[in-house]
Amino acid sequence: MTERTSFDSHRPPSRELLDDCVHCGFCLPTCPTYVINGEEMDSPRGRIYLMDLAERGEIPLDRTMSAHIDSCLGCLACVPACPSGVRYDLLIEAVRPQIERHVPRTRIDRLVRRAVFAVFPHPARLRVAAVAGLLYRRLGLAASLRRLGVVRRLPAQVRAAEELLPPVRFRSLFGRMDAVVPAVGERRMRVALLEGCAQRVLFGDVNAATARVLAAEGCEVVVPREQQCCGALSMHAGREDEAARRARRLIDTFERHEVDAVVVNVAGCGSSMKEYGELLRDDPAYADRAARFAASVRDVSEVLAQLPPRAERHRIDARIAYHDACHLGNAQGIRQQPRDLLRSVPGVEVTDIPEASICCGSAGIYNLVQPDAAEELGRRKAAAIESTAPDVVATANAGCLLQVRRFLTTDVTLVHPIQVVDAAIRGVPLGEERR
Amino acid sequence: MSAIVTTYRPADLAELRDALTESARAGQRLAVAGTGTAQWGGLVDADAVVDTTAMTGLISYNPTDMTVAVRAGTRLADLQEVLAEHRQWVALDPARATAEGGTVGGIVATADAGPSRHQFGGSRDSVIGMTVVLADGTVARSGGHVIKNVAGYDLAKLFHGCLGTLGVVAEVVLRVHPRPAATATLAVACPAREAFTLGGRLIAESLEPAAVEWTCTRPRGPGLAQRAEAAREQRDGTLLVRFDGTTNGVADRLRRARALAGEHAAEGTPEHWQKAGRLAVGAPGDTVLRLGTAPDQVAQLVMDVDRLAATHAVDAAMTSTLFAGVHTVRLRDAPAAAHAAVVESLRMAHSAATVCRWAPDLRNELAPWGDPPPAVSLLRAVKRRFDPDDRLCPGRFAPWF
Amino acid sequence: MVIFRIVEMTSRAVGTSWPAELAAVLGPDSVITDPARLRTYECDGLTGYRVVPAAVALPRSTEEVAAAVGVCARHGISFVARGAGTGLSGGALPVADGIVISLQRLRRILHVDPVNLRAVVEPGVTNLDISRAAASHGLYYAPDPSSQQVCTIGGNVAENSGGAHCLKYGFTVNHVLAAEVVLADGTVTTLGGQSQHLPGFDLLGAFVGSEGTLGIVTQVTVRLLAKPAQVRTMVADFATVAAAGDAVTAIVAAGIVPAAVEMLDNLAIQAVGASTRSVYTADTAAALVVELDGPPDDVAELFDDVQRICRDQGSTKIMVAADAEERALIWQGRKAAFAAVGRISPNYFVQDGVVPRGRLAEVLGRIAAMADEAGIRVANVFHAGDGNLHPLVLYSEADGEHDRAERLSTEIAELCVELGGSLSGEHGIGADKACSMPRMFGEDDLATMLRLREAFDPAGLCNPGKVFPTPRLCGERPGPYRPHPLETAGVIERL
Ligand SMILES: Cc1cc2nc3c(=O)[nH]c(=O)nc-3n(C[C@H](O)[C@H](O)[C@H](O)COP(=O)(O)OP(=O)(O)OC[C@H]3O[C@@H](n4cnc5c(N)ncnc54)[C@H](O)[C@@H]3O)c2cc1C
Ligand code: SF4
Ligand code: SF4
Repeated sequence: MTERTSFDSHRPPSRELLDDCVHCGFCLPTCPTYVINGEEMDSPRGRIYLMDLAERGEIPLDRTMSAHIDSCLGCLACVPACPSGVRYDLLIEAVRPQIERHVPRTRIDRLVRRAVFAVFPHPARLRVAAVAGLLYRRLGLAASLRRLGVVRRLPAQVRAAEELLPPVRFRSLFGRMDAVVPAVGERRMRVALLEGCAQRVLFGDVNAATARVLAAEGCEVVVPREQQCCGALSMHAGREDEAARRARRLIDTFERHEVDAVVVNVAGCGSSMKEYGELLRDDPAYADRAARFAASVRDVSEVLAQLPPRAERHRIDARIAYHDACHLGNAQGIRQQPRDLLRSVPGVEVTDIPEASICCGSAGIYNLVQPDAAEELGRRKAAAIESTAPDVVATANAGCLLQVRRFLTTDVTLVHPIQVVDAAIRGVPLGEERR
Repeated sequence: MSAIVTTYRPADLAELRDALTESARAGQRLAVAGTGTAQWGGLVDADAVVDTTAMTGLISYNPTDMTVAVRAGTRLADLQEVLAEHRQWVALDPARATAEGGTVGGIVATADAGPSRHQFGGSRDSVIGMTVVLADGTVARSGGHVIKNVAGYDLAKLFHGCLGTLGVVAEVVLRVHPRPAATATLAVACPAREAFTLGGRLIAESLEPAAVEWTCTRPRGPGLAQRAEAAREQRDGTLLVRFDGTTNGVADRLRRARALAGEHAAEGTPEHWQKAGRLAVGAPGDTVLRLGTAPDQVAQLVMDVDRLAATHAVDAAMTSTLFAGVHTVRLRDAPAAAHAAVVESLRMAHSAATVCRWAPDLRNELAPWGDPPPAVSLLRAVKRRFDPDDRLCPGRFAPWF
Repeated sequence: MVIFRIVEMTSRAVGTSWPAELAAVLGPDSVITDPARLRTYECDGLTGYRVVPAAVALPRSTEEVAAAVGVCARHGISFVARGAGTGLSGGALPVADGIVISLQRLRRILHVDPVNLRAVVEPGVTNLDISRAAASHGLYYAPDPSSQQVCTIGGNVAENSGGAHCLKYGFTVNHVLAAEVVLADGTVTTLGGQSQHLPGFDLLGAFVGSEGTLGIVTQVTVRLLAKPAQVRTMVADFATVAAAGDAVTAIVAAGIVPAAVEMLDNLAIQAVGASTRSVYTADTAAALVVELDGPPDDVAELFDDVQRICRDQGSTKIMVAADAEERALIWQGRKAAFAAVGRISPNYFVQDGVVPRGRLAEVLGRIAAMADEAGIRVANVFHAGDGNLHPLVLYSEADGEHDRAERLSTEIAELCVELGGSLSGEHGIGADKACSMPRMFGEDDLATMLRLREAFDPAGLCNPGKVFPTPRLCGERPGPYRPHPLETAGVIERL
């Protein structure tokens, strides 16, 4: 059997999973890459077909194959769309490492990927990069370089990273959080908060807001200081070993704290951490612990949905467009809770965005490695958002915030939903975090 | 034009096939008649005629299936009478059916339809199966006896509007609809533009009208400036809106429609519809022209007709199935040359025009058709494949083919 | 003697430079020739038939479609139009050595015209997106195939697609006013027009449902309807499939035209139950979904009538949708049913026959008997109101049931013809049922249809091998139950 297939024997996609696809095409309109170029190979149905052919050994694992696997954003919009219950999430996760192992990348692609993984998962390095970026912006260099057209002449990949850099204030950059934030009033839960590597640096105020709201709602919040990257980016890029390494380390770190739940406010991290059990299933030392850990992971909106609001919310009159981050909506099935959370604030009107199921193009490192497609998707998403004329855009993923911000043409406040609740509880106007 | 020496009068499919085979052998050019459609389009130059009026009667009718198969020479009015016994009808109401005893085959061949086409479409939308005999005697069947069917090409569609040039329709299967328990008409005196707007509102309010017709029988023409002025005060035409449904439902919708229509609304009568029908058929001596436009062009068309009628001193009347974009213009009381001038001018702006009734001598003044439709080369290609020797109704579509 | 002329599965002459020419007119980004990529186009929704094309073209405009077809015409290359590839009769099955022209880059909604109640769209626009675009005007596009969120209007035109609500509102052909078409010689023409009155034969009517064999649609003008004021939906359970069938007949006989009447039998309900928040009773033998729409008073009265009729016919339970959300759940289950069957059976065939509405109970009984005899399960989920059956023949490839299941499926379609119905109500003949066509039509009928084909496409380049039986496809005397010759020849593969 093994010689027949083009996959190696280390966790290839299973025949049963592949057979579940009945080729009905219901997933096509939800797939961002298909929406852009209309090519069958860049649709879920086409990718599954390629996997199927490779599994049968009818096509090799080569650059053609990798092109279409790499172009997948991993947004998983195709999963809820499938009436036949195809587990595309499992399929793509099985295939990515195979591609990593068997398909040599082009030089430029290799460089970019290496650079990304050298910086993003490491707060210290990212901080340096961010400061550089900050200065670069502050000094007006960016504007003048743009005027000169220098930026435009950089390769698309470099440009993408530059444009993604958010305007960050020094305070949030170097502010370190307390290790334990006590619950306000009677304690209802004890939770541990994941800071997130990119989140910590680029969106420190989201973490602060999360901790404040949780505390206000009666949670004692522990923030393990020594925590590192959860490995989500590596996992989505098919760097399986790296992902597993990071998962083990994170489990070690968090296991030291006795908590009711591990709370995450980054959709991408949360969805990966909920899959640790699957990732480490073959590791005898970790399999059980990973499964237990995964079961304790909650998105912050899930936690708050279970705690009837206790803290008073002040009125915020705003029309808020809520954007479902793929890794929250599609991967974790969390759609209602963030909306309810926003609606718990008097005066807030939550609107849905047209083409809601289509990814914004951020998707982990996608906007860094597939900049053209990501750009088109970002532009499309920004236009869809603007068509609802919102005062505020809320979304629960750092990547989405970065990506959408790049393409908005109007001056809209971009926030994580928790920041709205935080502002309402504190009674401060929203938009402190305005760019 | 040669004199017609032979008349075939088949009574069923087999006789029809024999007639066509025989005429093929004799190399005769054939007219198809007995349907009251002889006048549509160009004049046919034939040696023999196939008279279909003996091919009558139901072939099968099972009311629970809501389909009926008839021979093509059956009068539509007769068919409706049979169906009415089961509280059913074919949703087709071309004026010719009652006024001139139009046959099912003739109505198909002309693609004629009446006000109900607003909801139900034309004959193309009611026919679900057909058997035809081609010029060489080939008997071809398509469609079937079920309302939903996509097996094979729907040849029946092709025979809609073919005016006998592709083959002779022998048998037709139609879908039937239940007769509504109640029906009522709203009549609103108003000009075309208002009628179109009001009709649009009734549709937008989901009142589901079964027919939305605007008719104007006011004479337009010879030195009638003052009469036109007076007529404008009478609001220049009537919008007729028919509602079909349950007793309460129809009453409720009529009430709501009246409220929307305002002061000029009244309950319509069958006489209103009959008048529109008479207008669409015309009488000997009239010219009747059927035109298609985008629906919202109706007001412009009315202005054109008004202007041309005044210029050429013709009495013109008009009825429009507003949202189907189908208009019938009746010209009366003027020399053929004047009719010709009006038709020609209208054809310039609206090439999708068919002369359905020709005033005496008009044929000497006017070409049978205006500019051909964009797909004319396809029409020709189809004609060549179905009737390579051009034996069926030659001249009907001259000069297109 | 009739000669079926056009239908060959391979193009006659394959020139040498045509791929380059194609790339030159469309741009290299719009032509696929890589073997692995081509394979993703080898089948449509009917995966049993597979043929790898020589190239796939992805034009972006009418002009580019015309240019691509022009290249084909000059080199004698066959071409097959492809929309979303959801067709269930192999209509978009490629031709070996031919090209596939995908319309997935013509996806613009060009114009929504609420005044004239119509929309002009490109062929790659999905059925549902038309309704979405019209929604802000209170309008929608009526035909609603279950695949509406993905299938394209171009594919709908080609297949004359129907859907649950076609019982009251009619099929694609009743809702298309005009189509811009690229003919097989690369010329562009318009069929239909602005009005219902058009002199000449109804070429548009004949084109709709021609399964891509007469040309490629590059622009469609469709009719829009106002949304009904009131919609009411119920699910009525029945103790037997026959009782549900009789209820349908009784509703129709009472002169009521519901917007939709759909039936699911127990197996189908099980499949749906496994996949969505199911509103169906798990252990009922059959359920009828009846929806009425229209003005409130009419709907209220008739809705009561329908409930009464269902009770009179022995309905065991009637569930009325309380709100839009419950209605959506009912439809979600119904529309996902085909694909959901994938959850209760490893493999299945979707059949698509039609019977006169008075014979529903009879045909369902006979299908059940045939299924028993063959030892194969058949689930039924279908448009009962217009007699359009969709028996789902469940089988297991692994257990070697394929041939038996396929035979049963074909027999069911032919039974429908025998009962005075049709081989296909909406999925088309395509490659799948071409060999059964002689069951429904005589040689002269088919030959006459081919006259139309030749008028549009004398060279026979446009989607050859579909709809009509050919000696090559079906053996010298076209008939069912023969192994597909291309299969034996290794050109196509059966799963
Ligand atoms: C789960 C499921 C449910 C379905 N439910 C229904 C249903 O309820 N009712 C129904 O009628 N069908 C149904 N179908 C069948 C299918 O969705 C329809 O036939 C649909 O119209 C096909 O559209 P498509 O865009 O996928 O066309 P394709 O499958 O790509 O092509 C179908 C045919 O159309 C031709 N074609 C495509 N585009 C063009 C064009 N632009 N010009 C000319 N020819 C063209 C192709 O050559 C081919 O012959 C269903 C299918 C699935 C998978
Ligand atoms: S929706 Fe599911 S079954 Fe259908 S093609 Fe996509 S993955 Fe396959
Ligand atoms: S995960 Fe997203 S990008 Fe990838 S196939 Fe599914 S829908 Fe497309």
